[in-house]
Amino acid sequence: MLTRPTLLKILSTLILFGAWEIAGRIPVSYAFPTFIESMQALARMTFDGTLFVAYGETLKPLVIGILISTVLGITIGLFIGLSGWFDWLMSPIFIVMQAAPLAALIPLLVMAYGIGLTSKVFVVCIMAMPVIVLNTSSAVRNTPGSLKEMGRSYLASDTEIITKIIIPSASPLIFSGLRLGISAGFIGAILSELKITPTGVGDIITFSRSIADYPSMYAAIFSIILLAVLFLNLLESIENYLFEGNNRGYVSD
Amino acid sequence: MRHLLKHAAIAAFAVGIAAPAAQADTIRIALAETPSDELAAFFVALERAKANGLEYEWTAFSDEELAIQAVLSGQMDIGFGTPYAAMQRSKAPIRIVFQLSKLKFFPVTSQKYEKLEDLDGEPIMLHSRGGGTDSIANVIEGKYDITFGERSYVPGSANRIVALMAGQTDATIVDLSNKNKLMKQAGDKFNVLPMFEVEASDEALFANLDWIQNNEEAVNTFVAALASTWKDMSEDPTIISRETNPDGPIGQLPAEILGNLDTFYTDAVEGGLYDPDGGGRKAAEADMEWYSAAGQLEGDPGDLNIDDFWYMAPLDAATGN
Repeated sequence: MLTRPTLLKILSTLILFGAWEIAGRIPVSYAFPTFIESMQALARMTFDGTLFVAYGETLKPLVIGILISTVLGITIGLFIGLSGWFDWLMSPIFIVMQAAPLAALIPLLVMAYGIGLTSKVFVVCIMAMPVIVLNTSSAVRNTPGSLKEMGRSYLASDTEIITKIIIPSASPLIFSGLRLGISAGFIGAILSELKITPTGVGDIITFSRSIADYPSMYAAIFSIILLAVLFLNLLESIENYLFEGNNRGYVSD
Repeated sequence: MRHLLKHAAIAAFAVGIAAPAAQADTIRIALAETPSDELAAFFVALERAKANGLEYEWTAFSDEELAIQAVLSGQMDIGFGTPYAAMQRSKAPIRIVFQLSKLKFFPVTSQKYEKLEDLDGEPIMLHSRGGGTDSIANVIEGKYDITFGERSYVPGSANRIVALMAGQTDATIVDLSNKNKLMKQAGDKFNVLPMFEVEASDEALFANLDWIQNNEEAVNTFVAALASTWKDMSEDPTIISRETNPDGPIGQLPAEILGNLDTFYTDAVEGGLYDPDGGGRKAAEADMEWYSAAGQLEGDPGDLNIDDFWYMAPLDAATGN
């Protein structure tokens, strides 16, 4: 059954791809392929396995970085939200991290951690973690005081107040932090592959560009955006499963 | 609202990149790197062209591919690089007018290896997949009938030298100045393997064919200035440091780089990095062969028409051919 949001989504997708196709046919630039050419390249790379091999490389820093950022980010965020002392100690680091021009800092990371996986995981974490930490901490700090008082008056322990009141109440903001953080993590993964050493999807992008195979280049970029969208949808399903009350019926991505 | 924004974004995007190249009197040059000692000769030529009435402005891009894209889309007039693949594959009407430098790269290794044949099956570190050093590696494989082992990619000759000295790799291919730097610092620990001569282009100057034909005078002035600089430089490399404008982008570089200009250009001229005649047909033919062997051009090099890749008239006029 087609609902209005679904229809709108299909319509805006069609408009976007249509505009892409038209722009490619004009062409706005010799280096800009049409949507159809790019999709053919995507299909070719999918069926000959190139894309899977590439994602085998790209997903390593991405998955490790996102896991670290999620677990560590939410934990640190909780501590910052609960303790003023921790807030004083840690918040500035993440605020600076969020504002730092990462691409300019990559040479420093390479100097410290070399050109391997470690640097790439760091890039993903630096992109993903600040927004997760800051969102979590502000959500925890802004838990309604009346709810916590109620818990205390029913003799709940500190652990119970955290797990049964603070976390559920903070969950919508924590998850919106996760959504932002994970999208930033995807950016970080590709950035690290373009800026440190070209591997995986970053390698397809640079290599196709250097041999002027622009459809493949745009297909690789398209595939990573598609993966990010799918992943964010999955995250939303997880949120709805864990915290059913968070679903306010807004149009999902 | 979301829709409206999307429409607006698409419109802005389409307008932004479809804006046609303005016919300006000032030529816009897309450099493939920030001004450095390697570009000093180019800037000397620009000064000479300026004295003959050429107005120019330059923008430094972070890599060659971006410079090519900027020229392809008409946002820049003249670019740096060797866009053979773009010319053939995307049928872009761009043509090379001058060879700035040749692909002079050197295989350097630890003392484990003494000749290229020793590298059969051994790992090697290169710039990037599909890049210049990668193409050199491909041609070496063909000529010496060897196959390199795993290829790893680290952009920048200077970075590969660091990796070589730190023992992270035993074999790599680097440019002339970094080879000299390495041999000066630790010549006893590393070998430069003997290799065949390469005449193909590393950096060339290219532009849209329409633009070249509509701005013939400017292109002729520019190419003539380049040809005269390259010729004078081949006779006396120290003219580069003498003619460098102290207020220009090269003159503003740190004193230690400026102090090394004479050594850099003397080595480069001796090493055959620059063709005093600006390449021309000889370079074009070498390029066809080289870039076909390297996999950037498709088809038999003999069947490729150099007029589809080079526009010779300005260089012919400048060199009196």
